[in-house]
Amino acid sequence: MVPLKYNVRNMRVRWVTTALTIGCTALIVASTCLVFSMAAGLKRSLRLSGDPLDLLVLRAGSSNETNSGISLDTARSIPTLDGIATDAEGNKLVAFELLNIPTVLRRDGNRANLIVRGVDLPTSPALRPDFQIIEGQMFEPGLGQCVVARNIARGFQGAGLGETLVVGEKESYKVVGIFTAGGSSAESEVWVDRRDLEKNISREGSITSAQLRATSLETLNQLKSTLDDDARFKLKAWPERDFYEAQTRSSLFLLVFGALIAVFLSVGAMFAAANTMFAAVKNRTREIGTMRALGFSRGDVLISFLGESLLLCALGGLLGVLLVMPLSWFGLSFDLVSFDTFAEVTGALRIDGVVIVIALVMTIAMGLFGGLFPALRAVRLDVVRSLREV
Amino acid sequence: MSEPAILLKGVSKAYRRDQIVVPVLDDLSLSVEEGEFLALMGPSGSGKTTLLNLIAGLDRPSTGSIFVHGHDLADMSDSSITRWRADHVGFIFQMYNLIPVMTAFENVELPLLLTRLNRKQRRDNVRTALRVVGLEGREDHYPRQLSGGQEQRVAIARAIVTDPFLLVADEPTGDLDRKMGEEILQLMSQLNTEFKKTIVMVTHDPEAARRARRILRLDKGKLVNDHVRVEEPMEAAS
Repeated sequence: MVPLKYNVRNMRVRWVTTALTIGCTALIVASTCLVFSMAAGLKRSLRLSGDPLDLLVLRAGSSNETNSGISLDTARSIPTLDGIATDAEGNKLVAFELLNIPTVLRRDGNRANLIVRGVDLPTSPALRPDFQIIEGQMFEPGLGQCVVARNIARGFQGAGLGETLVVGEKESYKVVGIFTAGGSSAESEVWVDRRDLEKNISREGSITSAQLRATSLETLNQLKSTLDDDARFKLKAWPERDFYEAQTRSSLFLLVFGALIAVFLSVGAMFAAANTMFAAVKNRTREIGTMRALGFSRGDVLISFLGESLLLCALGGLLGVLLVMPLSWFGLSFDLVSFDTFAEVTGALRIDGVVIVIALVMTIAMGLFGGLFPALRAVRLDVVRSLREV
Repeated sequence: MSEPAILLKGVSKAYRRDQIVVPVLDDLSLSVEEGEFLALMGPSGSGKTTLLNLIAGLDRPSTGSIFVHGHDLADMSDSSITRWRADHVGFIFQMYNLIPVMTAFENVELPLLLTRLNRKQRRDNVRTALRVVGLEGREDHYPRQLSGGQEQRVAIARAIVTDPFLLVADEPTGDLDRKMGEEILQLMSQLNTEFKKTIVMVTHDPEAARRARRILRLDKGKLVNDHVRVEEPMEAAS
């Protein structure tokens, strides 16, 4: 085998070309990783939002909370059903929630949709994974107070602790706490007392959705069929898992988009690698002839040049992943407009195994296909003629 | 006399350029004994380099047979002739053909990477080869840090490091000044007399040819003169 140091040193000798090729590959791998880690982050956030025992009850015919509305009278019969779990104090784990999505000034001066959720205490937080007040305290019902997700507190004017969040002409809330909710979709929301909200937006007597937790998967299915089938209710119960699965359309878009980017850019990078390797073969024609004369086989030459191309792209791929890694470590979040609520959804970049595998596959594909034709040219060189090359 | 080391029978070689067939060697027969030092001379285009390449297993005859130690090179597959070259032939080129990114040591070690020798054995062989060509202490120099003569010495060390029976040299002094050329030729004579290497050398230079024991002249693809020197060739020590 031709020693690897032959390739490494040649890469070092033509370091400008090497650096440019590695840089090009790195940027391509980085941008692809970025898109896929956004998709992974979003998917994770939506998956975390769904507890396997939780049901989300909407008006029949609604597929999401924005176009759902249930009268409080109908809703009141929900807690009377059998099979609903209770918390430690014996409260039935049912929460009525009312949603309002006003446009609010962001700190950058632009307006964006913001989900303001009127919730029940203590059940609404109990129905979210890992709900925690990390600063300040929970709002007191009836006092026009609110708690704000950490991501939102950073992004919107008046959303910081102790500030006043103005969401409409007459509607404003004093921020008394900052919360996290284990990376779930609640982390893109502002929570207020449901009764405060219904007064402020004149929606007394109606709610958007009811959330509840079943005691077991069996009772979950019973509850679901009772709610779905009873003609009086005109309700539709969604297991949260299914509901959020359906909402991952946004992340599906990212995945398709990411895959397209990955394919197009990879082809581009293949040309870059091929170009570099063709130049390498041309410049080293006489060396290739010499090695063939000395007894190195066609296979040796093929492996050497394919290896060099792979090495080139692998360094690029590694650099690309390293470029994106810190963004994920520092918990860099991004705002995406949800296709369902048109409100901003905040997700965290997440570099998971899938992202790494995609980067790896891209790198290998670029290295192999970019290097294949130049390497084949090197293999097919006529030994006698290449020895005469200056 | 034992069987010849190299035996060519009715060898012809023609190249095809576009649609035109260009004859280079025409029905050439030749035998070379083990341990001979043979110079191939002739005008440009006479086919001497092609003949050298055929003997070295770099090229194939269009017709005819080339037996080296009884094996017909024309019958060997591409991979087995590649292997055969690695085992039996050392190459010396006009432009030295060292790998620029490798040190003298690494260049000489290169053919040994095709053998089963371990690292230590390879190192010993490389040191020995470099000592024979008088370059000990230059192991870590890159080709660009060496003079032309020194580069050719590294190339010769690379040619002999696997201990092949045959050395082929194409204009080994063509790119060197007279003094350095003399030194290289002296080294080659020494390899012939002391280490019993069979040497086939293409040259334009009558001075270089004087080192050989036998001079073949080619013209237009035919052998026109086969001259075995009666007087002793110049000694390595002279």
